[in-house]
Amino acid sequence: MTVGISDGIVQGFAVALDPVNLLYVFAGVLIGTVIGVLPGLGPTATIALLLPLTYTIEPATAVILLAGIYYGSMYGGTITSVLLRLPGEAASVVTTFDGYQMARQGRAGPALGIAAVGSFVGGILSVLGLMLLAPPLADLAVSFGPPEYVALTALGILLVTYLGSGTPLKSLSMAALGLLLATMGQDPITGTTRFTFGSVALFDGLDFVAVAMGLFGVGEILHSLERTDKVQAVTQRIRHIWPTREDFRNSSGAIARGSVLGFVIGVLPGGGGVISSLASYALEKRRAKDPSRFGRGAIEGVAGPETANNASSTSAFIPLLTLGIPANVVLALIFGALLVQGVTPGPQLITEEPEIFWGVIASMVVGNVMLLVLNIPLVGVFVQLLRVRAGVLAAFALVVTMAGVFSVNNDSFDMWVVLVFGVIGWLMKKTGFEPGPLVLAFVLGEIMERAFRQSMLLSGGSLDIFVTRPLSGGLLAVMAAVVVLSLVLARRRRAAFRHVDAEGEAGLDTAPAPGRDTRRTSDTDVPTAPGER
Amino acid sequence: MRPLRPLAALLVTAAALSGCAEDSGSVAAADYPSEDIRLLVPYTAGGPTDIAARALGAHLEEELDQPVVVENLPGASGATAYTELISSPPDGHTLSMTALPTAVLNYLSNDVGYTREDLAPVGVVTQVPSGIVVPADSPYQDLESLFEAARQDPDAVTVGTPGATNTHAAETRRITELYDVPLTVVPFEGNSEVQTALLGGNVAAGFVNLSQDMLPAIESGDLRVLAVGTDERLPYADAPTFVELGYPELTQSTTTFGVIAPAGTPAEVVTTLEDALRSTSEDEAVVEALDPRYVPEEFLGSEALGDLFVETEETFRDVVGG
Repeated sequence: MTVGISDGIVQGFAVALDPVNLLYVFAGVLIGTVIGVLPGLGPTATIALLLPLTYTIEPATAVILLAGIYYGSMYGGTITSVLLRLPGEAASVVTTFDGYQMARQGRAGPALGIAAVGSFVGGILSVLGLMLLAPPLADLAVSFGPPEYVALTALGILLVTYLGSGTPLKSLSMAALGLLLATMGQDPITGTTRFTFGSVALFDGLDFVAVAMGLFGVGEILHSLERTDKVQAVTQRIRHIWPTREDFRNSSGAIARGSVLGFVIGVLPGGGGVISSLASYALEKRRAKDPSRFGRGAIEGVAGPETANNASSTSAFIPLLTLGIPANVVLALIFGALLVQGVTPGPQLITEEPEIFWGVIASMVVGNVMLLVLNIPLVGVFVQLLRVRAGVLAAFALVVTMAGVFSVNNDSFDMWVVLVFGVIGWLMKKTGFEPGPLVLAFVLGEIMERAFRQSMLLSGGSLDIFVTRPLSGGLLAVMAAVVVLSLVLARRRRAAFRHVDAEGEAGLDTAPAPGRDTRRTSDTDVPTAPGER
Repeated sequence: MRPLRPLAALLVTAAALSGCAEDSGSVAAADYPSEDIRLLVPYTAGGPTDIAARALGAHLEEELDQPVVVENLPGASGATAYTELISSPPDGHTLSMTALPTAVLNYLSNDVGYTREDLAPVGVVTQVPSGIVVPADSPYQDLESLFEAARQDPDAVTVGTPGATNTHAAETRRITELYDVPLTVVPFEGNSEVQTALLGGNVAAGFVNLSQDMLPAIESGDLRVLAVGTDERLPYADAPTFVELGYPELTQSTTTFGVIAPAGTPAEVVTTLEDALRSTSEDEAVVEALDPRYVPEEFLGSEALGDLFVETEETFRDVVGG
């Protein structure tokens, strides 16, 4: 086995370092970065457009190009999340929390730099994992049935409540609103329409990109226009382009943990990318000595999720390359490209087409190196964007957002959705509510509802299915343990607090349920939402 | 948009009146095509319908000597694209890809703003058959043992389908209705999710499209086909048909991809398009791109596609909404 792997790696690099393939890797990551920067225009649309071009080139080269676009776009998405608070896809929503705050403090350079480094490390570690652990992890992906997805998304929603820097009640209410919004559109099981108000445009519910761009991007634009002078003052002090040694020291743990989380969770089809970045953020916040820094420009809050995000985009290839099951739309397109070429991805791919399997894997190493080299000088360029006058930048961001959102479905209705949610986002900002929990619950809610109802069909309506299956039962047990543990710890800490400051804590005792103790303590010293500062 | 509608109606009336005067209808049809042709795709870019449309578009471009612009308007199981289609002038410059029976099931189950009468069928591009599949280690060796298990225990057999409103879910419900075999439909999103659920042992069987993406698992033996929903056996799936097995009604699960125009498109224009489409099925390169397994041996034109719409509507009218 080990001989096979080392032979394979050698063969893979022979393929990946072929001048033609090198050119295609470079083209892929460059295109990926550019489309990642343009909000709305994601890898799906780009790969779909480029698909016919790949029919005439070698299959390995075709996948090398398409894969390059995919992981290149993951990094590109970071840039807009940090600079403009425009998350282009669900996985980079988390990056806006601290990335954008860092940019506001004139630390956009370090944020982008650490994201580049983290993405690189996550990508490389994930490729190593792909080489060594692909077959066992493929089994994990298959063993995840509907009940496991229910447990996983429930865990995701629990994590969402850890995220915000506002009060838990506000986070929870926004998450609940997100879950409600996710029910719009056709019922996933019966196909009947819900909350569509007779409009065909709402049949598929609200589009994630439109909702996220509205709440984050447009909401922020409206908010910043209210206080142009302040924004200006902040953006003038862009000093550090590169993360300092201290930044690296602070984020190294986050990057290591993000790599593992992203790699393992990314294998799961559907939602893997979002949940891995979410889990990474929650983990870092939980581990931090001072969790209140999160949401106010903590560099670990950028490094962890960005690493996880990129690691997951690599491990998402595992089910495709080993089982022939595409984990998401982008991989389905790559699957299609291979089929057209007469290559069938599946268990026999490693033995029958080793140059494709190993060549693609080796090209990911090359591509990640290229991305790092490409992005270091670009960080300096992108940071200059913030020197543009706020009014001009706002108008520019709005135009790009609208064009990007339109391009997703070619539907002008989505542009109205952006504007409506932009106003909602602005109002939320004014009232101290955060869009993060809403958007993430919106994404997870859809997966959760479908999986829950599928589970109910499978079990004939019995809830036992969630606890009798080892994986979902285990996940739920872990969640229960976390909640109980937090409750106990909170009680203990509260007792300690009461000792010191009986008055200040008394009012908070009635605040809601379990597991949010860390922020409760921070809330006492941060009365207003940090977004407002 | 709304305030413009009376104006548009006025213009259309005026155009129609002047059309009567100099019979410009046939003049326009003779000129056809005189400008770019939009080919709408009711699904996302990169999917099977989109890939077929792009191969087709390239060929039509040569045949008709006008640029063919493929435009993706995904959403609402096709209704977004069809609504756009029927609001376009019926002059053959706006066409749409369509997938049956989804296009019919869609308007039967919801008010989506169009029905069969609003569409002018042009012809069939490909037909993708469906079948019931089980994982390799399934205890069910044939369709009868699967159905028998369902009759014994009405909760025993779960059938994964690639969607809630598509043909497979509807056809599975028809099995229950017509032959009294209690099957539980578990809708997933797309073939690959059903495949995952099958391999993970989460559903007993799957009713899926035997499209390109499913064939590798069937060829490798990971999935076994118990029955196919065509009139005759398929060369690439070693399984009997439902008809052979004594279920003569189960022939409606094949997905038909075709081209449609808005109702009211002049007959000459439809004929021109039909001829262009016919030549497509004889062009080896295009057939190769569409996958020869799915291109009908004999070309099915406007009339055949129209009949298929009617037939599909009759078959499924009673199943949906129940």
